[in-house]
Amino acid sequence: MSIAARASFADRHGLLLWLAPPLAWFAVFMLLPYGLLFYYSLGSVDYMTFKPGFSAANLVRVFTGAPYLAVLLKSIKLGLITAVGATLVGFPLAFCLAFHATGRALRSAVYFLVIIPWWASYLVKAYAWKTILGSSGIINSGLMSLGLIDTPLRLLLYNQFSVALTLIYIFTPFAILSIYAQLERIPTNVIEAAKNLGATDAEVFRRIVLPLSLPGVVAGAVITFSLSFGDFVAPTLVGGPDAVMISNIVVNLLGVAFDWPMAAAIGVVVIGFALTLISIAQHLEARAAVRF
Amino acid sequence: MRDIGSRRLAWSLGAGVLAFLYAPLLVMAVFSFNDSPYTGLPFNGLTLHWYVVLLQHEQILASIGNSVYVAVGVTLLGMLFGLPAAVALDRYAFPGKEAFRRIVLLPVALPGVITGVSLLLFYMVLGLKLSLNTIILGQGTGLMCITVTEVFARLQQVGRSQEEAARNLGATEVEVFGRVLLPNIRSALLGAALITFSISFDEIAVTYLLTGRSNTLPMTLWSLLRRSVTPEINAVATLVIVVSILLVVAGVRTSRGRATGSS
Repeated sequence: MSIAARASFADRHGLLLWLAPPLAWFAVFMLLPYGLLFYYSLGSVDYMTFKPGFSAANLVRVFTGAPYLAVLLKSIKLGLITAVGATLVGFPLAFCLAFHATGRALRSAVYFLVIIPWWASYLVKAYAWKTILGSSGIINSGLMSLGLIDTPLRLLLYNQFSVALTLIYIFTPFAILSIYAQLERIPTNVIEAAKNLGATDAEVFRRIVLPLSLPGVVAGAVITFSLSFGDFVAPTLVGGPDAVMISNIVVNLLGVAFDWPMAAAIGVVVIGFALTLISIAQHLEARAAVRF
Repeated sequence: MRDIGSRRLAWSLGAGVLAFLYAPLLVMAVFSFNDSPYTGLPFNGLTLHWYVVLLQHEQILASIGNSVYVAVGVTLLGMLFGLPAAVALDRYAFPGKEAFRRIVLLPVALPGVITGVSLLLFYMVLGLKLSLNTIILGQGTGLMCITVTEVFARLQQVGRSQEEAARNLGATEVEVFGRVLLPNIRSALLGAALITFSISFDEIAVTYLLTGRSNTLPMTLWSLLRRSVTPEINAVATLVIVVSILLVVAGVRTSRGRATGSS
């Protein structure tokens, strides 16, 4: 305590030095713009010019107006599908990496193989699925040249299925890395102890690996959900009218309708949603947390 | 023994996942060499034509330079403002710390489009003209959390005993930072810089809203893709993947060299 007391003046001095620059940054480039967003959401638009006001009508319209609530719910649904899908697809590889990649060389080789698609251009990955699923894409032209179908299958592209598939594909590496980081930390002696006490492999998996993997699974799911929920590239590139997501609506309100207040209102609601999500995530991670 | 369950079953599932991850990338790479103006079967034979087209595409080449400029700026902002934020969060207690943490982390959970819209409004009110620099400010705000979380995690691992020892032995704050703190977090900082650079290089949502006359590479590709599907896109994609492989290898090499060097 005495050291702490002696250092307290230096501490306060030091704190200010470290805290002031980022605090100033976030105040100017985040809090101020968010405040402005809120202010605009209370106004209205008249002949493409903004009119200040103090009406909650736009905020109410997010929950009652025709397309907004439905699109918001659809974005949440696609985000959840992506989070669950990426976890299910990613888990086996994270498991291999943590428990079956014996030897340094094999492990770092497989790790590389996960990192590379993670780093590969996002746009390119979405576009790749367009060339695979499209009506003149690989699947359709392959099936047609084999004579299995006469006309290209239309249900592959430009719908919610193709958006979900593309989002799962893009975000699976995030899930793998997050789950692997947690699985890697499970001590070998816990597993050995269970085996020595007569646990079968299935029991070890179900009663040790699965519960201890939860923090990584939750963290990965939160990241994949938030990234896919607000995505606007995949819906534009591989989605049709049926797969419009909330970010597309915001972009359209600005670029096509010039309805700034409505776009701002959606932004305010989404910020509130994201803050709730962070709280839920922190709560879940605290509950799932394990100390080794 | 760390093995759980059948090794063969685990690896066949794992290999399936890898196949899923690589099939689309391979399709792109293969068709970048296809001698046909359409991406699709049949495969007409090998050509380097699309790479030649790409190297003459002035718009694409200029946008690569723009992307590097933006990514360097965003990475520097992460260092300048994210590093101090991480130190403040780990080493000090202060009122409103929880709120500060949430504000820093908010852009992770927030769609880039919303970050973009709020900053666009802000620029509009200030009368700021959109340019590559306004993109840097926007992406810098959105991606700062990468440096904060990476450095924060490392600071927690390292602990404070070395710094306290240095302080008790009479080191000034500057010396503590330069000779104890910085060497301890150097590889985390490097890792954060690499991740920030690559995400910034690839970023679309914030950039889409804040871009002025000059475009970054993803924005140029985006506008080309929306107009038509041409095989030079496959060529760019393949080159981007090759470059990212080289960067990953280089990044892991350097951070591994650091790790063995320090231990």
